[in-house]
Amino acid sequence: MEVLGIRDDVIDKAAVAAHNSLQLIAFSIGEQTYGVEITTVREIRAWNGATPLPNTREYVRGVINLRGTIVPIFDLRARFGDGQTSPTKNHVVVVMSVGDKWVGILVDAVSDILTVSRDDIHAVPEGNSIDTELLNGIVTHEGRMVGLIDLHSIVAGSKLDG
Amino acid sequence: MSELDDFKATYFDECTELLTELEEQFAAIEAGERDADRLNAVFRAIHSIKGGAGAFGFTGLVGFAHAYETLLDHVRDGRVEMSDDVVALSIRANDIVADHVNAARSGEALPADYGAHEKSRFDALCRGEAVDADADGEPVEEFDIEFTPVRVDIGAVPADDAFEAPPFSAPAGHWEIRFAPHQALYARANDPLLLLRELAALGEVSVRAVVRDIPVLADFEPFGVYCTWEISLVAPGITQGQIREVFEFVEGDCDISIVELGADASAAQPAPAAEALPEPLPAEPDFLSLAEDEIGAIGVSALAGSAGEAGPEGDAFADSPVPSFAELAEAIKPAVAAEAAPAPQPMAPAAAPASAPPDDGERRGGGVQSIRVDLDKVDRVVNMVGELVITQSMLTQQMDETLRARYTELVRGLEVLAQTTRGLQDSVMAIRAQPVKSVFSRMPRLVRELAVKTGKKIRLETIGENTEIDKTVIEQLSDPLTHMIRNSADHGIETPERRLAAGKSETGTIRLSAEQAGGNILIVIEDDGAGINREKVLQLARNKALVAADVQPTDEQIDQLIFAPGFSTAEAVSDISGRGVGMDVVLSNIKKIGGSVHVRSWPGRGTRMTLRLPLTLAVLDVMLVRVSESPYVVPLSSIVETIQCSRAPFERVPSGGKVLQVRGEYVPVIDLAQRFGMPTQADPESRMVVLCEAEGGSKVALIVDDIIGQQQVVIKSLEENFEQVEGIAGGTILGDGNVALIVDVQGLKSTIHHKNAA
Repeated sequence: MEVLGIRDDVIDKAAVAAHNSLQLIAFSIGEQTYGVEITTVREIRAWNGATPLPNTREYVRGVINLRGTIVPIFDLRARFGDGQTSPTKNHVVVVMSVGDKWVGILVDAVSDILTVSRDDIHAVPEGNSIDTELLNGIVTHEGRMVGLIDLHSIVAGSKLDG
Repeated sequence: MSELDDFKATYFDECTELLTELEEQFAAIEAGERDADRLNAVFRAIHSIKGGAGAFGFTGLVGFAHAYETLLDHVRDGRVEMSDDVVALSIRANDIVADHVNAARSGEALPADYGAHEKSRFDALCRGEAVDADADGEPVEEFDIEFTPVRVDIGAVPADDAFEAPPFSAPAGHWEIRFAPHQALYARANDPLLLLRELAALGEVSVRAVVRDIPVLADFEPFGVYCTWEISLVAPGITQGQIREVFEFVEGDCDISIVELGADASAAQPAPAAEALPEPLPAEPDFLSLAEDEIGAIGVSALAGSAGEAGPEGDAFADSPVPSFAELAEAIKPAVAAEAAPAPQPMAPAAAPASAPPDDGERRGGGVQSIRVDLDKVDRVVNMVGELVITQSMLTQQMDETLRARYTELVRGLEVLAQTTRGLQDSVMAIRAQPVKSVFSRMPRLVRELAVKTGKKIRLETIGENTEIDKTVIEQLSDPLTHMIRNSADHGIETPERRLAAGKSETGTIRLSAEQAGGNILIVIEDDGAGINREKVLQLARNKALVAADVQPTDEQIDQLIFAPGFSTAEAVSDISGRGVGMDVVLSNIKKIGGSVHVRSWPGRGTRMTLRLPLTLAVLDVMLVRVSESPYVVPLSSIVETIQCSRAPFERVPSGGKVLQVRGEYVPVIDLAQRFGMPTQADPESRMVVLCEAEGGSKVALIVDDIIGQQQVVIKSLEENFEQVEGIAGGTILGDGNVALIVDVQGLKSTIHHKNAA
């Protein structure tokens, strides 16, 4: 049972109350911080250009080759309606699995891995439909707001808009 | 396993899939989704099952499926309401169809009235009577199917089986069979060896090849048929019908006489080897000695490949010519070998030369010479080899002159790598490539049966059946071809009387051909029948609201209407075709594998349907072009030519667009930068025109910024992680790791029409 022992160690270290906490990858767009659940993240890579797709929405930056598979890249800033990012080598693509698809989102930088309690997640304030559509909830970390990205609506939205 | 068994196995695999689909569809229908699409899918599935069953003579299944289909047809037309009762009845009917399929697969017989109760309810419903679920009346047998004996696997039929009325049956039969193939038998890719093997499966056989008709070499025609066979068959309890069945596929292409010795000795032909029957071996020594007798006359040395030295004189036989005959004998032997094992003695004289070709020896001894591999595994290999090819070409591109001069060893290594990669790629593709023969060879029988059913005289010509296509493509080809040939036989070819009246020969011809054209395979089904009745087609299309009343389509568009779902011009619904499911199955199957269908018809002279299929689904030869700053690829198979913009004869049209004049033809022009919304800084004069051919031979000119080169790419799906993009057929990964998009020529072409119409 050595194998199990090792696993237990890891889990013990990682979380206090495992089933009630949530680990997030936090990343920034401008001044604002957002997060996605760590289990959905497949890979984080530096921006290295993408092949643009013709006649698509502004926030679809194009497609990249991820080890032989073609993966679309969504510009999260543009998705939030703040205009396209002008990416540099310092920008980051976070590749995630959404359902059975892999997608990448273009963000300014990845900042941290956060562990938050599920109980601390607040609902998104009603008011703007974009907020409620694209965010699952809000948590506070070190006094700052972290928006939890709803990946499904980011990807599914591309169809609705089309 | 005989070819027929192979086909049956394929058919049953297809049935399993179709039955699964039926289950799914009805699960949804039961849940309340009663839309036309589901009904059409059910209809197609039943139609396909029925079609195959007809080809194999599973009459019980055909009969039931036909009645069921009639009901579905009524439901589809709205004549019968899709009530819960009808759904329940249909689900029951699916089970009965499945039982029929299973019975046919295992060779068991179902009771003759199996499903008769359901059938009578179908009939009642179609006549407009309410379903009486409790009615347990007499089975009503109204439809036009005759119940003939169900054919089952020949080897498995016990002698006293009631199905095959045995007019010539005799309990301990010695049969003497003479089999003389015509040239046509070989031309249709039949193999006597397979037939002889099948005979060997019936009982003990001894085969004598009659080679006395082989002429001297000077008169020898390469495609001539000079060899016939005499076969003694000792098989107690089999019938002449069973023996005939072995030759069923080649009937008409050979002379066969089947005589039973023991039962009616007076009718028997004098059979020289008859007394040797209980001991079947003499066949081979006979054959060899006969062969040697003939060798002098033939001058076989040339056949054996040692032309210069060996004349007709004796000692040459010992070395080269005899082995060549021994090989021939070896080829025939498997038919005998099964029975020959217990008595090896007479083989001795032939043993030394016969063992010469080691391949044959291995083939018999080794047992398994092929393995079944999951196609997914092969696909994975194909994909990886594709990546390897790309990486290899990228490495080669990286080698500039200085590097070449400095690292000669590395360069040599890269060259070897390039060769090996190429070889690997060819071998992997060859694993999946198969001759279309495996599909084509199902058709002659289909045509014969169609001819009998329709009372027409039809001849099938097949050309290019050794053309190889990717297996995944071939698998999708069987249904469409069956439907198209059925359509040609049923609607295209006229009755003998009408043909004579039209001044044509009584026998209609259907020509099935396959050829490779660039990166495509063209499969053409041509008939010399009446052609498409455009007036009627248009009328029907208007009646079914497929074409609006105020639209006047062109002749070509009318022809293409026969592929619309639910379209059929048949005056009488037959059990062959004419329910309007066949042709839309064709279109959807072909589209699924990235192909296209085009039909052309000449009134009174015939119809030609052309299937254009990709050679392989994995690798595409493309031209790499640049639009704005992005790489795009255009499939090489669709490119006609490229022209520099400064030399291209453009003309303006009122819409503000451009057309290109190419050899008297005006071709619509699409500026890809404009079309794709990507601003370009390229000098208008230096840009290039890529002239492409879309479906049906219509052309379109694409303007790109630059042409970069030509290469092979592996097609990747955009939809796997994203969605379909208009004007783009997919993506691919270039040597530098970047993604290039594949231009969808057909899609771009149709959006022009769309825009013009709007």
